[in-house]
Amino acid sequence: MSAVADGGDDVRKEMRAFIEDNFLYLDPDADLADDQELLAAGIVDSLGFVEIVEEVEARYAVGVQDVEITEENFGSVDAIARYVERKRAEL
Amino acid sequence: MCGIAGIVRADPGEAVEEQALLRMARSIRHRGPDGFGLLLDPGAGLVSTRLSIVDLAHGWQPLTGEAGSVLVYNGEVYNHPELREQLRGQGVEFRTRSDTEVVHALLEHEGLAGLDRLNGQFALAWWQPRRRRLTLVRDRFGVRPLSYATGADGSLVFGSEAKALFASGEVRAAVDPAGLDQVLTLWAPQAPRTAFAGVSQLEPGSVLVWERGRIVERRRWWTAGPGGEEPGEELEELLRDSVALRLRADVPVGAYLSGGLDSSLISALAQVEKEGELRTFSVAFDDPAYDERAEQELVARALGTSHHVVEAGAAEIADAFPDVVRHAETPLVRTAPVPLYLLAREVHAHDLKVVVTGEGADELFWGYDLFKEVAIRSGHRDDPERAMELLAELYPHLGASAARRGPGWARFLFEAGAVDDPLASHLTRVDATASARAFYRDDVAAGLSVDAALEPIRDGLPAGFAGWDPLERAAWLEVTTLLEPYLLAAQGDRVAMAHGVEGRYPFLDHRVYASSVALPAARKLTETRDKVALRDLADELLPESISARRKQPYRAPEVVPFFSDGSPGWVEEMLSPAALDEVGIWEPRRVEGLLRRCRSGRATGVREGMALIAVLSTQLWHEEFMAASGDQPTETAAPEVRIDRTADQSMSEVS
Repeated sequence: MSAVADGGDDVRKEMRAFIEDNFLYLDPDADLADDQELLAAGIVDSLGFVEIVEEVEARYAVGVQDVEITEENFGSVDAIARYVERKRAEL
Repeated sequence: MCGIAGIVRADPGEAVEEQALLRMARSIRHRGPDGFGLLLDPGAGLVSTRLSIVDLAHGWQPLTGEAGSVLVYNGEVYNHPELREQLRGQGVEFRTRSDTEVVHALLEHEGLAGLDRLNGQFALAWWQPRRRRLTLVRDRFGVRPLSYATGADGSLVFGSEAKALFASGEVRAAVDPAGLDQVLTLWAPQAPRTAFAGVSQLEPGSVLVWERGRIVERRRWWTAGPGGEEPGEELEELLRDSVALRLRADVPVGAYLSGGLDSSLISALAQVEKEGELRTFSVAFDDPAYDERAEQELVARALGTSHHVVEAGAAEIADAFPDVVRHAETPLVRTAPVPLYLLAREVHAHDLKVVVTGEGADELFWGYDLFKEVAIRSGHRDDPERAMELLAELYPHLGASAARRGPGWARFLFEAGAVDDPLASHLTRVDATASARAFYRDDVAAGLSVDAALEPIRDGLPAGFAGWDPLERAAWLEVTTLLEPYLLAAQGDRVAMAHGVEGRYPFLDHRVYASSVALPAARKLTETRDKVALRDLADELLPESISARRKQPYRAPEVVPFFSDGSPGWVEEMLSPAALDEVGIWEPRRVEGLLRRCRSGRATGVREGMALIAVLSTQLWHEEFMAASGDQPTETAAPEVRIDRTADQSMSEVS
């Protein structure tokens, strides 16, 4: 995982802020851990999941294939960071 | 159709100020713009504001009768000519052609037992000074509103709207958190509760008797549900007759046309029954997701009506929203009343005072998706896969999600909610609405719970309710928890009467209702067809594309009107942390997160839309009623009727 650390940190920071701003605003004092499972913890529902996918596509200019919309790729801040780095590496 | 209000005191020696009555009249003049009347008795005063529809020259109120008894009455009794003839046969003489006089005579001769004979929509106050008795009555479905409050000295203050109570100077507006919380559970306060502390609304189909400073009786004179009077005629005959009765007026009657089955059917029947051209009125939206103008125009062309369209754009919705909240007198979770407010304004601008509408059909004939969902859940408990297929057809977005997320999630969806709970059919809506409670301040939330908000509903379920068919249960809940408290109120009477427009609802004729309840379930809903009996009738009267059209839920945009270029500046002001802190209901930091999503265009979900409207409407409602200064404007026009009996000793003599 250390391979993604440098570039991934920006993604982590930005996506953590995005999720906190959009899905955790009812609990402004909450701290979101990077490995927190977003669906299992009820932080996002299926619609929120789609919002995250759309945000990743727009913010990082990556094309997300339908088959890639999984918890493995979008289920936590860490997962998103890994996914974005992988997609960037493919470019 | 009118507004009524009054004050009665336990002690006839304690005067009611005429100025108080004039302020009360002023506060509800929108309900009765054609004039007003008042009566002063020892320790009592009544006012009526009038929208002249029947017997235009006469029919002014308050109306006095035998033994000094007085009636103020807001509404219409459609079968008044028949009742008049029957009463004449019993020796009653009439001075006017008005239905008010018929209702008064019926009460004087038959008492409250006579209510069963009334076919109409009304709220009334019947004052019998020699008994110092005031009787308040509301029609079966509570089409017409009636609020009241009692004072420590035994006084009772009543009015068509709560603003009349506040104008009296005897009742102070204050928030009832439990009433507000019912809005955030079931979309509206449930009678007798209102969103104001100390202000009650009379339950639909109920009477309240106040005598010498005490409420001595309070009961239902009619209840919804199976087991009522069996209809003697077929549904089609009853519906035709119901429409014909509701076209009775001494002024022209128009029709609302949504483009759906119900209002189209009513317009078609009205066109058949009515002499001359029918005028129809529709709301159109610039957002195609809400718009039905193509269907509206199709029906109007097919029926040959003179058709008028009101455009409800984002700016119009935002601009009218504060007025709608003022008229609704409650926080809201939807903007859907606003286009109907704009529509009534258009009707008024065309010099029309009365419209027939299709309200009630979806509840009586199981047209909402909610009923289909209940049918699927209860009818396919042994075959979840088939149930899931049907649910996915009903809610395509669920189908798409299920396909993406897999069968486990689909099963979770199907099994969500407690199927055996008597309120099961409505818990999905409750859950979605209640999500807005997350924006409460902690100290407000601490005293409230969804269970507490639902408790009066559970306590008021009819005997044997748990044994009813799940669809019958859902229909009863839909009538009593949404149609009566919300659709007929904030989205019905309040927004129409804001412009002096009377809505008439042929489907809510009690005979039509009884007929719908008695119909076999297969005449209402099958796996492939809803509102079966109505569609069969519509097949004969309307283009097939309308009679077979699937229902489009009536909604209006919620976030866009308040967060787009050109949105009014007061929106951000009302939602600022300082304004939220001043009202003290909503937590500014939580609301700020919601506003961020609204501003960025991300708040597109139903829940966030409801939360925004709940917060914004509560802020407006608070400013309008709680923060308003004590000075209330008074009526300055001269009354059409002014009866002063304060010097008449006989009115103080309690028999």
